[in-house]
Amino acid sequence: MAAVVETEGLTKFYGHRRGLEDLDLEIRPGEVFGYLGPNGAGKTTTIRLLLDVIRPTRGRMSVLGMDPRDSRVRARIGYLPGELALEGREKAGDYLDFLARARGGVPPEVVRDLVERLDADLSVPMGKLSKGNKQKLGLIQAFMHEPDFLILDEPTSGLDPLVQQEFLAMVREVRTSGRTVLMSSHVLAEVEHVSDRVGIVRAGRLVAVEDVAALREKAVRRVEFHFDAPVPREAFEGLPGVRELRVEGASLRCTIDGRPDALIKAAARFTVVHMVSAEPDLEEIFLTYYSDEEGRHADAGVKEPA
Amino acid sequence: MPTLVSKSLREYRRSLIGWTIGIGAFFTLYLSIYPSISANPDLYGEMALAKYPGAMRDLMGGLNDFTSGAGYLQTMVYQLFGPMLFIVCAMLLANRAIAQPEESGTLELTMTLPIERKRLVAERFVALALGLLALAAVTFALVWLLSSLVDLGVPFDRILAAHLAVYLLALLAGTLTLAVGAAAGRRSVAMAVVGVVFAGGYVVETMGRNVDAISWLRWVSPFHYYLEGRPVFEGFPWGDYLVLLGATAVLAMTAVLAFDRRDVGV
Repeated sequence: MAAVVETEGLTKFYGHRRGLEDLDLEIRPGEVFGYLGPNGAGKTTTIRLLLDVIRPTRGRMSVLGMDPRDSRVRARIGYLPGELALEGREKAGDYLDFLARARGGVPPEVVRDLVERLDADLSVPMGKLSKGNKQKLGLIQAFMHEPDFLILDEPTSGLDPLVQQEFLAMVREVRTSGRTVLMSSHVLAEVEHVSDRVGIVRAGRLVAVEDVAALREKAVRRVEFHFDAPVPREAFEGLPGVRELRVEGASLRCTIDGRPDALIKAAARFTVVHMVSAEPDLEEIFLTYYSDEEGRHADAGVKEPA
Repeated sequence: MPTLVSKSLREYRRSLIGWTIGIGAFFTLYLSIYPSISANPDLYGEMALAKYPGAMRDLMGGLNDFTSGAGYLQTMVYQLFGPMLFIVCAMLLANRAIAQPEESGTLELTMTLPIERKRLVAERFVALALGLLALAAVTFALVWLLSSLVDLGVPFDRILAAHLAVYLLALLAGTLTLAVGAAAGRRSVAMAVVGVVFAGGYVVETMGRNVDAISWLRWVSPFHYYLEGRPVFEGFPWGDYLVLLGATAVLAMTAVLAFDRRDVGV
């Protein structure tokens, strides 16, 4: 099947300011693609190019096999803006009705279902919506026409944890039904649990595209053992994958990448009273990419438009 | 009705009602004192002439037969105040089509609907034209009613001719606002351009009659195609009105094309 998004040398300059340079990106059908980068890196620029809100300086792109200039492609896209602006006296529900009509009608039961799932209050005038409710309205309008391709710019900002869980479930359902999601964030933790792949953009350039499963394998795990008596450091030195080993009396701290088997067996020779193993910190790998790139692009001084 | 037209009209409703009441009150106030003016033509005629010396008098349209029904109607309603109120209203409404939602960010979601950009601007333009038409229709009915009540003695078709011109001027001003807003995306720029064209255009048209140095500029003033024909006195100057309509059409087209080719919300 053809790619949902395909860009080649996609570049956007705002005057002399670089927004995005030479982006080659492929998003495959049915995947959830996490698009990561600090604020101002070019995430929103990419998204707005895909939606034809702004026009590329050069380069080529296709979305769902079509030129984004063709307005028909937007019928198959659901979009949540990063900074959702809603204002005025109009009731949130009436605005939703307008969006649904402009999209040629949406089954009311789908909307009702989404409103219930997210526990949104749409009886409020838009100018008076809380940040959380605004974001909920944004999600409802993005999901309601069951689009083939969802573009979600910083979707979880402003949502409380319970609603975040519900939202992640919605994203998984979209993937299960074979549809595609592009989800941007500046925090990996927000997207790692639903994404199949992540792309990392920095200073207007795509610096890496990684499989989340592969990223997790590379991940460094922090491990802590507490014993009933002091243990000798030598017993743990030179074990495969063990780094930053610190033994202080009866406690041991280290990081481990790869299998923890050898470490566990070494520890088993003593009496373990307590053990802590933190979730692999993908954030750390993620940040490694950033610091690698830091030097190279330090001169660029790129900033995204507000 | 197309979705964006009805949506825009809903957005306009509140302020249109406000403007209709405001402009209606203004017209009512001035037309209802006409009987006392027509009862003392010498007194008020002289007062008006004394109040506005020389060039100021030109600016008010001459004030020569201020105390006749047609002259009073022209001076108080159709010379300056009526058109200016309509133009300001048109400018504010038209800015809500593109520039204002672009500045506040609410345009972004509209742009990502499966609606062509050209269509978006075109539907906003239609809503603007309809909204202003409603304002013009209601205020026209009011002026006609009041002028019968106070025995202004101006025929129906003359009032219609003048009121139509006010509508066309307002539509032109609104379309100019829309075009600048569609091209630049900035409310302030649009208002500055409309301010220069219409305030400047009014001065050029009224003062230019007696100042040769600027009289050639009258041809580019929108007011020239309204005031020159003296519709309250002489009926429809159709040729002039077609110029206003033609300019509106060109600007509407410009708005559509300008918006189609630029980045939005940068």
